[in-house]
Amino acid sequence: MEATTKMKSISRRRFLKKTGWVAAGITVASFGAFPVVRDKIPALPTFDAPSEKDGLTWIQILADGRVRFYCPRMEMGQGAALGLTQVVAEELNIKQADIDCILPDTDHTPPFQMTVGSQSIVNFFDPVSWAAAQLREALRAVAAEKTGLSTEQILDGRSGFKLPDGTTIGYAALVPATDVIITDNRLIENDNLKRYALLPTTKHQTIGQNWLHHDLTAIVTGRMAYARDISLPDMAFGAVVQPPSFGAQLVAANSARALELPGVLGVEIDEAAGFVGVVASTPFILSEALDVLDVEWQIESDFGQEQIDTLLDVERLRADDNFTHTLDQSGDLEIGQQSARHRSSGRYDTPFAAHAAMEPRSGLVWVRADKVEVWCGTQDPFFVQKRVAKILDRKVEDVVVHTHRIGGGFGGRVMCQASEAAARLSAKFNLPVRVQWDRAAEFQNNYFQPGFSHFIDAGVSQDGFITHWDHDVVSSSILTGLAPGLIGKAIDLATPDQGTTRGIRAPYEMTNRRTRHSAIRTPVPINAWRGLGSAPNAFAIESMMDELAFKSGIDPLQFRLKNLLANRARLAKVLRKVGDMSNWGQVAIPDTGRGLACAVYKEETAVAVVADLTIDHAAKTIKVTKVCCAQDCGLVLNPHQVESQIMGNITWGCSMTLNEQITFAQGRVEQNNFHLYEPLRHGSSPEVNVALLSPPGTPPAPVGESALPPVPAAIANAVFAATGYRCRSLPITYEDIFAETG
Amino acid sequence: MEIVINGNVIAVPDDLQNVTLLDFLRDFVMLTGTKFGCGVGLCGACTVHLDGVAARSCQTYVSDIINVEVTTIEGLDQTSPGEGLHPVQQAWIAEGVPQCGYCQAGQIMTASALLHRNPAPTDAEIREEMNGNLCRCGTYDRIRRAITRVAQEA
Ligand code: FES
Ligand code: FES
Repeated sequence: MEATTKMKSISRRRFLKKTGWVAAGITVASFGAFPVVRDKIPALPTFDAPSEKDGLTWIQILADGRVRFYCPRMEMGQGAALGLTQVVAEELNIKQADIDCILPDTDHTPPFQMTVGSQSIVNFFDPVSWAAAQLREALRAVAAEKTGLSTEQILDGRSGFKLPDGTTIGYAALVPATDVIITDNRLIENDNLKRYALLPTTKHQTIGQNWLHHDLTAIVTGRMAYARDISLPDMAFGAVVQPPSFGAQLVAANSARALELPGVLGVEIDEAAGFVGVVASTPFILSEALDVLDVEWQIESDFGQEQIDTLLDVERLRADDNFTHTLDQSGDLEIGQQSARHRSSGRYDTPFAAHAAMEPRSGLVWVRADKVEVWCGTQDPFFVQKRVAKILDRKVEDVVVHTHRIGGGFGGRVMCQASEAAARLSAKFNLPVRVQWDRAAEFQNNYFQPGFSHFIDAGVSQDGFITHWDHDVVSSSILTGLAPGLIGKAIDLATPDQGTTRGIRAPYEMTNRRTRHSAIRTPVPINAWRGLGSAPNAFAIESMMDELAFKSGIDPLQFRLKNLLANRARLAKVLRKVGDMSNWGQVAIPDTGRGLACAVYKEETAVAVVADLTIDHAAKTIKVTKVCCAQDCGLVLNPHQVESQIMGNITWGCSMTLNEQITFAQGRVEQNNFHLYEPLRHGSSPEVNVALLSPPGTPPAPVGESALPPVPAAIANAVFAATGYRCRSLPITYEDIFAETG
Repeated sequence: MEIVINGNVIAVPDDLQNVTLLDFLRDFVMLTGTKFGCGVGLCGACTVHLDGVAARSCQTYVSDIINVEVTTIEGLDQTSPGEGLHPVQQAWIAEGVPQCGYCQAGQIMTASALLHRNPAPTDAEIREEMNGNLCRCGTYDRIRRAITRVAQEA
């Protein structure tokens, strides 16, 4: 026991030393559990949620009294670093200018959970607050030692403490020139540790303020360094031949013509790895070099959209009455059906979708004998570190990933394949190599949101209560979407995917209910996309709720309130709120309509939206003009940032509802640029009106994806209000509506 | 040949006259504020000013810009009177527009050219002018607020 502890202490201290952490300043360090870099095979993403003690490695006070905060979240616009910086400031009584918030490289901190699933504030609020509070109390103890007073006599001041004689002592005066590590025995017991971030919101000094992100000036002046912007002196430029379809096998490649081009330094062909890459001394020759590389592929699969649609056809599975999982079941569907006064049933489909982040990915890698450096933007730098180490057959600790702000993530940037290619090329040619994907590569080679196919049969009693809810859904597993062949199939049989089924349980009282699900793997690589299953699932549920309300002649808002589960009081509040904000009710103007929908994201964040839309017959378009959104995500660290996330989700929701669809032909993606896959543009974007509800004493709940789920249904319901046409399949187009209604 | 970028005269090597202005800026002049998004004129991330008019640098060849002044996001502040940032950049900060920020240089270049030509654009004019600049993070509403702020403060 003794020995283990000692070993950990040593490695931890070394780690801190090595990284320059304790050059001069105070770090509160715990010698307890220390998450070590695990050399797992295969390389896996970083799943573990942080513990309180992890927080200690993120926050340090420097000799000048400033605070250095290695924020353990990757930045892609969600601004979690800002909210967490406010937590640090709250605990330490400091201003924004006193904090250097740094996006950590892999050698700055121990591994931390990948930045996904809107967990940044939810999971990191507590350890950051705890660690910052520990640091404050450590400083108070130093002040007490210095002044000969007791810690009780040392009161909080701005960036320091107040002494009983009225004088103040700043943090700078408390930090010795040599490093100090405050060890476990100086940590305050949790019961005795004051946590200012946990006080009622009225007591907060910085939490709840609209601090602006520290990167804003760099962004608006073009000085923010994204991965694509990084270069090294004497670096070479690499490019990769992308396979023509999913799973295509490299047969042979001929590099002769490419090698003749001026500036081309070499071509790497690795048949086993299916890799053909070219390296040049100038970026300007790369596209020509790719053009003349003669590469022969063996096409493994030439599937098209029809095959995928057949696989994911809910009616096919219903005909066989064959679903892998019954997600929930209660009461008796037949009894429910018999007592229904009004009944509705329908099939709802949502298509495959791409992330289409604005920055195509890029990686710069420099492989040397003693060290491998990677510069990239990723939602999981420790995963990139492990993958690069594996490709190069190097030790994980030899690889350092320098992280950059990401030009949009949305779940699509956990891997950085461009870095992996750059690593191969750098290793081969002994030069730093940068590989940048273009737009077509970004569309073709990433993973996707799977299509969803739902069938719901439901009914309402004479007095307006839901009599039964029979819901079947087919899609592909998302969280385990990249698990290989048979393993994937085994996983699908064993357990329903938490990502695919996210939000599948309607928040309403339904005594007679059954929800069944099958996950079916297609040749399309699948993984996280904003909100995972939550938006497709809410689209089906909330569309059906609208159909039931209409059939029973009850206002859709009242119908939801009437049927909400008793434990959904927070959802009831946001529903009422969005009703007030939007002055809910239909407006009797031809070709306009309003729709309402709601959802609870990850069982935590309650959201309701009202969408207003106009049908423009001249332009043959459906335009969402305004969206009101009420959201209860508990404690809000920075309202501006949360509103931005909500606006982003609403825009995304309009886009997925009206514009986005990935299709497949001959084993590849048919869309290669924004003319074929066009995210919502400015001219079509709605005015957004947001209200935040935050019941006292509630902890922070997820924000980054929460407002998305209800948007598609709200729009479909608005289309119904405007046209009488029920859109049950996304994307909704003008042509679909008016072709079908004649 | 030579071209003028942000007031600096840059000599163009012979073999680079046929590259796009976007590639030239990013990989030769090392001005990386101008971004690559699509490469085919569909997203606006690469927007610069040519004599004060917004243009897509991925659709412009270096050989085409003779006797034209190029302004990129890095030089935008020099085009407004007074010290400090251009009013559009200031409004972008005041409204906290950027999320990931990747599209924002292009957005700012399009917006500043619009406001230069039309200091008080209507909502419809803003929407039309900004329609070529995609933002996947969904900052459009805040962009409209920032443009309106500049128009009102002018
Ligand atoms: S990169 Fe020029 S318009 Fe997209
Ligand atoms: S801010 Fe991310 S794409 Fe516009």
